[in-house]
Amino acid sequence: MKDKLISDKLPTSRRKFLKYGAGASAIMAAPYITRVSAEPTTINMLAWYGHGEPDIVGEYEEANNVKFQAKYYAGGDNMMALIAQSPPGTYDIILSDGEFVQQLNAAGYIDELDAGDYNFDDMLHEDFTQFPGHWADGKLHSVMVRAGHLGVSYNKNFVTAEEAKSYKCFWKPELKGKVGHFDWHLPSLGQMSLLNGNGAGLWDLDDAAWQKVQDTTLSLRPQVGGFFDYGGTFNSLKNGEMHAMCGIGDWITGVLEKDGAPVASVIPDEGGIQWTESYCIGKGSEKADLVKAFIQYMLSPQGQVKSAQMAAYPGIAITKAGRKLLNEVDAKEAQRTGQVDGLENDPITLINEGRIHYRNIPVQQSLEDWNDFWSEYKNA
Amino acid sequence: MNSERISSWILKGYLVLIFLFVFAPIIASVVFSFNSQRFPTIPLGSFSLEWYEKIFNDADIWTAARTSVIVAICTSILSTCIGFATAYTDYRYQFRFKGVFLALALLPPTVPLIILALAMLAWFSKIGISGQISSIIFAHTVLCTPFAMAIIRLRLSQMDENLEAAAWNLGASQWATMRTVIIPFTRPAIIASLCLTAAVSFDEFAVAWFVSGLNKTIPVVILEIVQGNIDPQVNAIGTLVFVISMTLVIIAQVLIMTSQKRDSIN
Amino acid sequence: MSQTDTAIRKSKSSQRLYALTWRLPIIVWQVLFFVGPLLFLIAMSFFLVKNYRMHEAFEMVNWQKMFSRDYFRDSYFFTLGLAIGATVLCSVIAFPAAFALSFKVSANTRRWALFFLIIPFFTSYLVRTFSWYVILAESGVVNSLLQFIGLGPFTMLNTVFGTMVGYLTLTLPLVIVLQTFSMSQIDKSYIEAAYNLGCGRIRTITSVIIPLAKTGLVIGAVFCFILAFGDFVSPYYLGGSKPPTLSILIIDTTKSGQQWPRAAVVAIVMMLTLFTVAFASIAYAYRKRQR
Repeated sequence: MKDKLISDKLPTSRRKFLKYGAGASAIMAAPYITRVSAEPTTINMLAWYGHGEPDIVGEYEEANNVKFQAKYYAGGDNMMALIAQSPPGTYDIILSDGEFVQQLNAAGYIDELDAGDYNFDDMLHEDFTQFPGHWADGKLHSVMVRAGHLGVSYNKNFVTAEEAKSYKCFWKPELKGKVGHFDWHLPSLGQMSLLNGNGAGLWDLDDAAWQKVQDTTLSLRPQVGGFFDYGGTFNSLKNGEMHAMCGIGDWITGVLEKDGAPVASVIPDEGGIQWTESYCIGKGSEKADLVKAFIQYMLSPQGQVKSAQMAAYPGIAITKAGRKLLNEVDAKEAQRTGQVDGLENDPITLINEGRIHYRNIPVQQSLEDWNDFWSEYKNA
Repeated sequence: MNSERISSWILKGYLVLIFLFVFAPIIASVVFSFNSQRFPTIPLGSFSLEWYEKIFNDADIWTAARTSVIVAICTSILSTCIGFATAYTDYRYQFRFKGVFLALALLPPTVPLIILALAMLAWFSKIGISGQISSIIFAHTVLCTPFAMAIIRLRLSQMDENLEAAAWNLGASQWATMRTVIIPFTRPAIIASLCLTAAVSFDEFAVAWFVSGLNKTIPVVILEIVQGNIDPQVNAIGTLVFVISMTLVIIAQVLIMTSQKRDSIN
Repeated sequence: MSQTDTAIRKSKSSQRLYALTWRLPIIVWQVLFFVGPLLFLIAMSFFLVKNYRMHEAFEMVNWQKMFSRDYFRDSYFFTLGLAIGATVLCSVIAFPAAFALSFKVSANTRRWALFFLIIPFFTSYLVRTFSWYVILAESGVVNSLLQFIGLGPFTMLNTVFGTMVGYLTLTLPLVIVLQTFSMSQIDKSYIEAAYNLGCGRIRTITSVIIPLAKTGLVIGAVFCFILAFGDFVSPYYLGGSKPPTLSILIIDTTKSGQQWPRAAVVAIVMMLTLFTVAFASIAYAYRKRQR
């Protein structure tokens, strides 16, 4: 009899909790979790470097009694490989490059999201609400949280702003041995494709165009001083080892600029590439609700400002409220990155002018082909 | 004789240069760890404890330190036990395929870490033990056992061969002899081996990087900072790890030296 | 059956148990965690990868693919050349130091010197490499000093020079220690005899010391080769992976699209090379002695 009573009661209270819990915002739900257990819940994150660092998640961890344990990758193929080699459910939250979301989805690594959980009306650009690959058959699989633009990154003492208006500046004789590559094929080869005049079709190359991209790239090889990971890219620009860098943008030079280094990134006339970072919930994660609340937090104005000021690398705010708050609390950074309505170099304006192309995976070749060529190029 | 002295001085000067080369990066690292600049360059910035404060306040580094300590302790115990057994077998027994046996024991240091790391991760995920603290321990034990064996074997070769036989003649069983004669005799080597293998494990990054999954050790954190948002925290951690490792090495060294002295007195 | 028989049999089996207790642990451990992985590595080189997942198979595809790629061959010879260069350089640089430690300083100084040479093994190699990065940079310590005497700046990072500095950081202390061990064992009377027979200093070194210390010299060189051939930190961080060595190729291949089987091909080729070099040189090191 007693047993029955309890089991009768449980569902009602559970239902009630769910009802109120869902109604309450993430921040409202947070203190509840804190009271339940003193030991923080661990959330496993797979992301680019920096996303699990205290400057981004610290406050959130404290307020919600969670602990992020991050594994960092470099490049989408690397991310796919890391997921493939761990048991399902290892990663609760995955920060993916926008163009790899469809791959994650196709491989069955991520869960469906409820579109109602996120405020798409507040996005700064319509494209962000319907980002390619994030929706499949009307179902949402990933939410974009930040972005940034890739162009010509250079040391102002050696390259003029005028020269940097074209990718051709990498071939400048004075830069011999001083041009560096971020060691990932997609951004660098994408920029070469733009230089070849492929414009919006930069990822959709037929055999001839692909061959031409390879030729253009190989002709740059004598200028190249090295291939760098994330830390190496930072250091070599800062130390003056490299005077120009292919395949990066403000996400690297922004940090250095704030540190006082004479470096900058511009979007050249041939156009630039946008990197897009989106959050997904890992399939099999037992902490989907906690992850959802965190994604909501990152999309909130506070989260967007944190992302724009991220110590590892800045990304532009993608919501109107986020941009507004950034202008209030850090006008200098907003100004520096053009995140002010009406500015000439406002990233959103650049997108509207058609000068920015979203980074994608090759359409007619496989990623493996591109990667293979990259290995060949490095050895050339 | 004069030219002899000159060449002697040249050689000594050369030695100083060599030591300068060997210690330059170590000294630089310690200096940079107290330097205020985020990207250390010349001239140096001001004295700062910023990087130490940062690592002391970083929970991830404490977690990594905990993992490193657990791994180092387990590895040192396991590899010293296995190394002892192997060294004793080599000392005591002659048997067929002993060459193969010794090769099996001593081969790991000749395989590049990166290959070992690749093979171990693949194998561990195959048998379902990848990405755990225990997988780092298994891997590190393979790496450390040859060192443990070498140290203990060296000590055993200093033992009077008749000592063991004498104990048997007095009626002690083999097990009792092991307990009362051999283990006490090799104790300094055992402790030295515990310290050295712990130090090796504490500093290993390639294999740990591959097999650790989400359980990062300190060297893996260093690697990630170097690959990622490179900053002088690396130097601060490096300096601390250096101090810890050196303490272990010095304990080991002192134990080996004092045991040698005692032997020579006896 | 008599009681003594049983006793003997019992003691025999207890002896066997005793022997096995000491013999088995290493066999079990190495088979499980050393031989197992390496055999699996060989098997893996025949596996297939589909959609970032490895499938067990027996196909030659990976071998064909890697061997048909120019970059693999180039990288192989580049790595081999680098490792041989590092071995020669390191042995040559180490020799005078080991010589001085063996013959020109007191036993006490030698002990301390060896102790100090062991210290680097217990500092993080990564941290030391990162220090070199700062020291050798265009705006780094070395170039600032050179500037005082009106030289430079020189580009040292992202060059073979940078890689070599890294390799030497890794190998030089070890090689000096090994060379010193074998040279200080040489009976000093041989050297005096050579002098008395009218041998010059150089002649004494080439015809007395080097042959007598051969084992240590070769073992030192072999370790140097092994470490340099397999290291990925120096060529990556100090050499700018320009071009990539085989170890970097392994990491690149595993990073991109889970191509472990191809990385296994590279690894196996590396191991075959290493074992050949190691066995050949160790056989050489011990050959003359037995005669």
